[in-house]
Amino acid sequence: MSPETPFKINIPDEKLTTLRAKLELATLPDELKDAGWKYGTPLVDIKRLAERWRNQYDWRKHEKEINEKLPMFTRNIDVDGVDTLNIHYVHKKSETVDAIPLLFCHGYFATLTASAPEHPSFHVVALSLPGYGFSEAPRKQGFGINQYAEVAHKLMIALGYNEYVTQGGDWGCLITRKMASVYGGRHHKAWHTNIPMYYRPGNRPYFLVFLDNPWSTEEKAGIERTKWFHAKGQGYSAQQSTQPQTLGYGLTDSPVGLLAWIYEKLVVWTDNYNWSDDEVLTWISLYWFSCAGPAASLRIYFELREDCEDIGRDPTIPMGVSFFPMELIVLPAAWLRKSYNVVFESRHKTGGHFAATERPEELVQDVRKMFAKGSPAFAIVPGRTGYA
Amino acid sequence: MSETPFQINIPDKKLSILRAKLELATFPNELQDIGWKQGPPLADMKRLVERWKNGYDWRKYEKELNQELPMFTRDIDVDGFGALNIHYVHKKSKTVDAIPLLFCHGWPGSFLEVRGILPLLTAPSPEHPSFHVVALSLPGFGFSEGSHKPGFALDQYAEVVAHKLMIALGYNEYVTQGGDWGFLITRRMAAKYGGKHHKAWHTNFPMADPPNWKSPLSFLSYLVTPFSAEEKAGLERTAWYRNKSSGYFVEQSTFPQTLAYSFTDSPVALLAWFYEKLVIWTDNYKWTDDEALTWISIYWFSRAGPGAAHRIYFEVHGDFYNLGRTSYPTIPMGASYFPQELLLLPSAWLRRLNNVVSESHHTSGGHFAATERPKELVEDVRKMFAKGGPAFGIVPGRSGYA
Repeated sequence: MSPETPFKINIPDEKLTTLRAKLELATLPDELKDAGWKYGTPLVDIKRLAERWRNQYDWRKHEKEINEKLPMFTRNIDVDGVDTLNIHYVHKKSETVDAIPLLFCHGYFATLTASAPEHPSFHVVALSLPGYGFSEAPRKQGFGINQYAEVAHKLMIALGYNEYVTQGGDWGCLITRKMASVYGGRHHKAWHTNIPMYYRPGNRPYFLVFLDNPWSTEEKAGIERTKWFHAKGQGYSAQQSTQPQTLGYGLTDSPVGLLAWIYEKLVVWTDNYNWSDDEVLTWISLYWFSCAGPAASLRIYFELREDCEDIGRDPTIPMGVSFFPMELIVLPAAWLRKSYNVVFESRHKTGGHFAATERPEELVQDVRKMFAKGSPAFAIVPGRTGYA
Repeated sequence: MSETPFQINIPDKKLSILRAKLELATFPNELQDIGWKQGPPLADMKRLVERWKNGYDWRKYEKELNQELPMFTRDIDVDGFGALNIHYVHKKSKTVDAIPLLFCHGWPGSFLEVRGILPLLTAPSPEHPSFHVVALSLPGFGFSEGSHKPGFALDQYAEVVAHKLMIALGYNEYVTQGGDWGFLITRRMAAKYGGKHHKAWHTNFPMADPPNWKSPLSFLSYLVTPFSAEEKAGLERTAWYRNKSSGYFVEQSTFPQTLAYSFTDSPVALLAWFYEKLVIWTDNYKWTDDEALTWISIYWFSRAGPGAAHRIYFEVHGDFYNLGRTSYPTIPMGASYFPQELLLLPSAWLRRLNNVVSESHHTSGGHFAATERPKELVEDVRKMFAKGGPAFGIVPGRSGYA
């Protein structure tokens, strides 16, 4: 394993100049009368954001803030039979010596500026997945779920965390689930997620489950939300999982195109979260300025397409779940309990897909509760209870 | 309502902006040995962008189009949407009693697709019928104005196309040829105006629902009739399209505006999205770079902007899958089957639900039949309306012969 190198984001001036030049030339479409959000990102929002990005938004200021707030590093991780990738990550140790090592695993559209579930009781590692942020991207085809899980696991081991827990949403959920299947027990001790994805049990048990557990109002609403996502919200993933490069050309060449593509999700996938323009622009700038470019971040959909359709063997290690009502897939908890070793559940009244951004306190509370004294997952990492 | 002759004349400023954007083009990297698996290869894209920037002469092709295609515009009133200024090609045959034929394109097609078939359709001859051809730009495409309000769906496209444009040109009775959206639109026309005005329709994109348990006899026969080799290949092609080549459809029919920003701001974005279809939806058609760039330039320079055309997917989405639930046209139908079309279903399913009088099965050709196989497509149309053919004389007084 190669040594760790401290990392500071320092986007070359040339990239800022190119961005500005493109924004100067930006041309915008028209819009149907009173379209609102019905057809996609509204023109008024994109105009305002593009204008700000071009003129007032100060990347260097936000770059500096990130550098000051997050202790970042890079190191090379060897992926068996594939490649060596230089991986970028945040690593912040708690002052509590025996804090629990926790890996925070993001998904598509997430960034490191999302507050990680930090607490003096956790040593937190938050990586940029290969192809995202300042991590290198795979160069060859076939970099699938096993490889993503391998990178994450090897990073924890390289940092001296032979036993650890994880928190993940979006792709982070699938990846930490694979980690739990492959490394669970020996290394990966427990996992928490804010987007529990699972399939309903087969027909007979489904009906039995239904009889035992008639759906609550919340669960009904969750099913409606899930149906909406399935019927109306699949465009981006249908494209990204079949022809990611076709889309990638546009997202690489047009900052406005990238802005519209991502901003739509930041709004549609959250629960009325009040994004400030600069928060949005920083989020999208991280994609624009990413080491591998925005096109690379799409390829995970293509590679993992089969994995999404067959989640494989269920993990047995303790699992914690936080349900946020405006998440994209919200299914009855009883189905979850049938498939996993659920030791912690939490239901919230508000919040959506980007839990760490929208509801950081609630998410942190949930993770703390899961590992607190008296909880089933307490002291799951031997010698590292998280308490002084 | 009056007609105005039309010549394409893109302002210099638009050409400068295009060049300026191409000068700034930035490209992604590419996975090793990826070929076409995830989209157009980087080498193709770089070459096309380079050509578009340096070497491709829009003015030359603009001039050719103006010389080759007699074009016009006129205002067409659409109930509830006001008047839209519609662009169209209109070429009359020397045969006075030629059959009026409307050619209706789809996406990512355009009026350009009529180029290859126009001289053949209008050519006078005692051997085959001739046609007066009208090829419009659908609203939001080419040089037609697009709708400014939501809800412009199949009925509106059919109304603009059919009733109003053909009638305005003095063609009270006419036939149609269409593929892709052209199929759905001419089918709606046939349902609405069939018999009285719309006399017969031909398509190279014949879509049909499979028999279901609601019609037990068909369903039984469907279960026991083995598929031919051609039909099996067609069903595999259909499965490929559904599984691997429909991403664009899902995005365009749910969040068209989000995509519009990329297409409007970046010629590279537009080029990638469209060029991918030109290649994977055709049967090894040898696009020259300039041919592809002209096709895409029509979208880039379109009157409504490159972000407008695909709104049709959103507006018509519900109707797209309504095949089994709306009334079927009864007027005579002709169908051409090309093996690299996207949806290829057993022709028995089509015959079950439509008045199919003419069918052709080809051994090569894909989705853009008028471009890939102009002679074959025209032969199919001619045979339908020929003396002795199933739809001969369907338009009274306009047999297509001298």
